[in-house]
Amino acid sequence: MSGLCRAKYLPLSDQRGGAWCSALGLFMRLGVLLLAWAAFGCFWCSSAETPDVAAVRRKLAQAILAEGSEQQKLLAELSDSGSKFAAEVFTAWLRDGVYIYSSTDGSKIPVLLEETQDTEGKSRALRIDNGEFLKDPQGADLHFASSDLSPADTDMRLRSTIQQTIDTLTLSDPNPTARRSGVLKFGNSQKTGYIPLLQKKLSGEKESEVKKAIQEAIALLQLSSTDTKVQVAAVDELGRLKSIGSLDRLRALAAKRDCPPEILRSAKRATAAIQDHLWWVNFFGTIFHGLSLGSILLVVALGLAITFGLMGIINMAHGEMIAVGAYACYVVQNLYGAGFGFSITLPFSFGSKPISFGLHLPGLNASGWFYESYFLVALPLSFLSAALAGLVIERTVIRFLYRRPLESLLATWGVSLVMQQCFRMVFGANNVQVNSPSWLLGHFSVNDLILGYNRLFVICFGLLIVFATWLLLAKTPLGLLIRAVMQNRGMAACLGVRTSRINMLTFAFGSGLAGLAGAFLSQIGNVGPSLGQTYIVDSFMTVVLGGVGSIMGTVGSAMGIGTADQVLQQTTGSPVTGKIVVLLTIIVFLQWKPGGLFSTRGRTLD
Amino acid sequence: MRSGVTTAEKWVLAICALMLVLIIPSLNAFTPEGFFHVSDFSINLYGKYLCYAILAISVDMLWGYTGLLSLGQALFFALGGYMFGMYLMRMIGSLGQYHQPIPDFLVFLGWHNLPPFWRPFSSFSFALMMAFVLPGLVALIFGYLAFRSRIRGVYFSILTQALTYAACLLFFRNNLFMGGNNGFTDFKFLLGYDLRSPATQRALYMVTAVTLVLIFLGCRWLTRTKFGLLQQAIRDSENRVLFSGYAAGNYKLFIFVLCALIAAIGGTLYVPQVGIINPSEMAPEKSLEAVVWVAVGGRGTLIGPIIGAVVVNALKSWTTRAFPDIWLLFLGALFVLVTAFMPKGIVGLPEQFRGLAKRLKAKPLPPPAPHQTPCAEPSQSNPDQHFAKTK
Repeated sequence: MSGLCRAKYLPLSDQRGGAWCSALGLFMRLGVLLLAWAAFGCFWCSSAETPDVAAVRRKLAQAILAEGSEQQKLLAELSDSGSKFAAEVFTAWLRDGVYIYSSTDGSKIPVLLEETQDTEGKSRALRIDNGEFLKDPQGADLHFASSDLSPADTDMRLRSTIQQTIDTLTLSDPNPTARRSGVLKFGNSQKTGYIPLLQKKLSGEKESEVKKAIQEAIALLQLSSTDTKVQVAAVDELGRLKSIGSLDRLRALAAKRDCPPEILRSAKRATAAIQDHLWWVNFFGTIFHGLSLGSILLVVALGLAITFGLMGIINMAHGEMIAVGAYACYVVQNLYGAGFGFSITLPFSFGSKPISFGLHLPGLNASGWFYESYFLVALPLSFLSAALAGLVIERTVIRFLYRRPLESLLATWGVSLVMQQCFRMVFGANNVQVNSPSWLLGHFSVNDLILGYNRLFVICFGLLIVFATWLLLAKTPLGLLIRAVMQNRGMAACLGVRTSRINMLTFAFGSGLAGLAGAFLSQIGNVGPSLGQTYIVDSFMTVVLGGVGSIMGTVGSAMGIGTADQVLQQTTGSPVTGKIVVLLTIIVFLQWKPGGLFSTRGRTLD
Repeated sequence: MRSGVTTAEKWVLAICALMLVLIIPSLNAFTPEGFFHVSDFSINLYGKYLCYAILAISVDMLWGYTGLLSLGQALFFALGGYMFGMYLMRMIGSLGQYHQPIPDFLVFLGWHNLPPFWRPFSSFSFALMMAFVLPGLVALIFGYLAFRSRIRGVYFSILTQALTYAACLLFFRNNLFMGGNNGFTDFKFLLGYDLRSPATQRALYMVTAVTLVLIFLGCRWLTRTKFGLLQQAIRDSENRVLFSGYAAGNYKLFIFVLCALIAAIGGTLYVPQVGIINPSEMAPEKSLEAVVWVAVGGRGTLIGPIIGAVVVNALKSWTTRAFPDIWLLFLGALFVLVTAFMPKGIVGLPEQFRGLAKRLKAKPLPPPAPHQTPCAEPSQSNPDQHFAKTK
């Protein structure tokens, strides 16, 4: 047997049962990791509420009613509050949406009118000072049309102060991202008057990203200064900060005809530094995109590496296994929401009645974190449903074609056509939308490099799946049997291995991996009946390039193809050219290494 | 069956050929409306089927006779079609939507002059030459690379599929100046004859039928020469052929290029009859469909692909009209059933039934027949019927 054992295979040493148990264990471990991931995501998304709403409300009401310098002072105080509500009131104020209600006892109450109107075009009035609705003495809500009330007074000066207050409010927003975008708005305003305000904020700021943004904004504002020394310092500062956003301003500054030489020198230096930085950011961005694309390819091709590479079955329906997984996600999502149902009417009729059948499953109507968690249920289900589909195909079609690989290609293509049409009949010919859970939607940035959570998730999970597959094949009894059957079917059968059962399980496992890939793809794009077709040629190329039968080769070639594709997309500026070049390169590459990247060495000719 | 063709069989073939070439067109031209009349629409449709039959022969010469399952034959078909389509586009002249002397899609893309590589295509003979040269060249380069590094079996299939996929993506691009997504359409004249007149279509049908018969006879002759024997030897055991001192790679390259040319002829005749050529003609599915025709008709025979192409396409025309929703279900199921239970296709059915009958006679209680058929195939004795057994 050892003669037949090729280098890549691990020695067949241990012969214990319990293949199912260890597979189950692996799966549970996978689940725990996923849960941890989810918890992390939830934590990340939560953010603090406004500090002391009641005080802000009182002060707002005062500010609206006050006049002159008193009003200016109150507004300045409010601009530090960081309250979202205050921002809303101010915006409404600018649009004359804040009204003054004079009550019977002579006091004046500032109110907002609700957006929902009753049949007479009237709506309830929300008191700004305590957040309750205005009531008559009996306790019933009062309704007003906008013409019933007088809007709060504004004049030019007040309006500009209010606008400034709104802008400043964003600077104390509790959410760092909102704070940062507020700062950037200031930086591009070209109003040097904001510099002292920003400098005050800078000293109180703790988030390093926001801090950097404030420094950038200050320097950008200083560019408009009349003092050459300040300008030079600002240019140097921008260069030091490697501020990509200021590149255009710096170029414009250097291009000015009357630009003093010292500024020109600094600007050139700063522009060079920023461009250098930009190049690196783009470089790593491309690599990151390439890796995430590679990971998708990897997960898609890994299942194929098992069914095609290990078993020698050309499963053209592999793409449809991907679609099965993606649609499983869709169904689970709908079951968590409003429910799922379909009905099919066949074009034949039986007697006078057309034959039709359908199914309707009620949904859970979940919301909040419970709804978000649907993906965690969908992941294992997409694996299981695709594995089941694979099992059925193996038992009904492929089992007869193990000795005729070319014909398995044709028969499975037939299966793929049938499955595509079934998807069309059940889910409709149009794409369906699978919503990403919110913990996969955001992104974070490291040094201007933006990393999306969904792409990160795909990379991490791709690596996890490769690791799990390797564990299954190399460390479990089931994996041992799989390798034995794939290396020498006849010998394994002689030793008492039930080869047909192993074939079935291996094929189901490979299909299940395709289902997982489908779950990923549903998070990245839309899900349609021909989803699998998009990836089938790519994934076959990945397996062939990697070297048939080698899991490591598949990893290498998937990452290589993904990265090359992205780099070529960047350099040629067109996604299609990149793809064509990659395909042709692979064809030429196989000239040099016909067995793929990690080819196995054997002495047999056939 | 093939080694000793009886005179009767020759007569049957000759009558079929006569029927195709002369009788169907005369039924179109000379009979009044009625049962025997072949409508203009039908003759156009038959012409399309015959083009597909030519493509099917090229697939079969590779797959059935040489054991090379090429999933890229539609590429050569479409390339031939595109080259000839360029000539037809030039023949539109200023009669297009925009009334400009250059093809409409170029006007649409904002061009005022013809791109240089389009210019020679105003000549019929140049376009016809290119319809052979380009597919032949592509096949030569790809085949040289593939066979030199001894890519075979399923790898060959996957690579040819990748090639046609890459070409398909390429032709979808607008800046190739080949019509992009919409391809070429709205043809008007061929050698001065109006393409929309029934007489031209009838003539085109006749040319197609004659070409098909000639290709059939040519391939029949080729498969009976020493070359043909070698071709089948390569299919059955390439290594033994190599060890016997034959450069199997060169033989394969020759047949690959030859089949690319045959497919290109099909494409060239297809475009003026169907009136449109676009990149979806070279999509990987199209090549697979051509393989289905061969599988259904019966590979390893030359009449099989013709029967398969006509039968499957006629079926397709009917189902897509009668039950548009389930056409794919039907095609898929047909495919699975044919590959699993009818390895020799329609042509092989009588033999299969004879074998079944023999077994029924031998054993009073046989095991369930359909499951046995595919598994029993490798042990059958006729070496000619051994299909590509790639390990």
